[in-house]
Amino acid sequence: MAERTVLSKEEVREIFVSYGAAPTEEERAGYREQLVEQYIGLVEFLARRFRNRGEPLEDLTQVGTIGLLKAIERFDLAREVEFSTYATPTIVGELKRHFRDKGWAVRVPRRLQELHLELTKIVADLGQELGRSPTVSEIAKVAGTSDEAVLEGLEIAQAYNFTSLDAPMDGHNGGTTSFAEHLGTEDEHLENLEYRASLAPEMAKLPERERDILYLRFFKGMTQSEIADKLGISQMHVSRLLNRTLIKLREALED
Amino acid sequence: MRLVAAGLASRLKFTLDEIEDLKIGVDELAGYVIGPQGREGTLEIRFSILDDGLEIHGEGHLTSATKVRRELTEFSRVILTSVADSARLQQLDGVPTFDLTKKRN
Repeated sequence: MAERTVLSKEEVREIFVSYGAAPTEEERAGYREQLVEQYIGLVEFLARRFRNRGEPLEDLTQVGTIGLLKAIERFDLAREVEFSTYATPTIVGELKRHFRDKGWAVRVPRRLQELHLELTKIVADLGQELGRSPTVSEIAKVAGTSDEAVLEGLEIAQAYNFTSLDAPMDGHNGGTTSFAEHLGTEDEHLENLEYRASLAPEMAKLPERERDILYLRFFKGMTQSEIADKLGISQMHVSRLLNRTLIKLREALED
Repeated sequence: MRLVAAGLASRLKFTLDEIEDLKIGVDELAGYVIGPQGREGTLEIRFSILDDGLEIHGEGHLTSATKVRRELTEFSRVILTSVADSARLQQLDGVPTFDLTKKRN
């Protein structure tokens, strides 16, 4: 990676002033480039938070750079806030939007994507109302559709890549705590000897959250709904992560 | 196979959690026979409906001479114990077969 000159706050401010005052687009582009160069490290840092999601880091950095450009465009020096503070939510927002829009691993018809979103909510609401995991007929009744359509919708959920680790939690708990924060509390339990002894070496290579879900399901005997409640994510998301992890483990076993 | 299993289970009034478990169990066992990349041949599945559950029997009639694991790994046992009432993998006359039973709670 090329060495970058780190500019002082004042120097950055000066570039922003010049950028705002530049009479031609050509000049503006020059200042913009300087600013991008100055903050590309921030973009890379933020993009790294979204890696292991099936997208190359370079692509994520590109997406993040779009966010950076938007932030440069909108930044107002009168705000008296550091540009990096201002730009971070815009860059993260761009990355999250990228995953929201492109989260489907295979092309899924819009109708099924919408059904999937609807089912996620219904399953969570019904689970709370009934105090147990709902049946397919119960879900179908609320959704106003057939059992077959619900089954199809549930299966299609497996084609959805993931939900960002830092995305607001879906379901009914609101959006203030992130998935990552929830998982942190499980770490000490993962030291459990029995669990560690059963860990095949390939399991140890899994991302932490996927190992945690495996642990809660197969070693703590929690149901998918219980795990969903505990982690503040949807049951369908738990199902997706579990299935994906098990497929990975089977492939590793075969190698 | 997952869909058929889920469809039958839903008619038996399995809950969503139970259906998800059933799918995991079927995937886990069938994975031994068909392998992660898929093997040449036919996978024959028989579903039997019980009063309170479902029995699934699978046989892999493979055309290529592929080495199929004869025994479940320790981890597979842990998984299957969690998701099914009983699960077995065996070779019958050289044919890899599996059986799984899942009952409704």
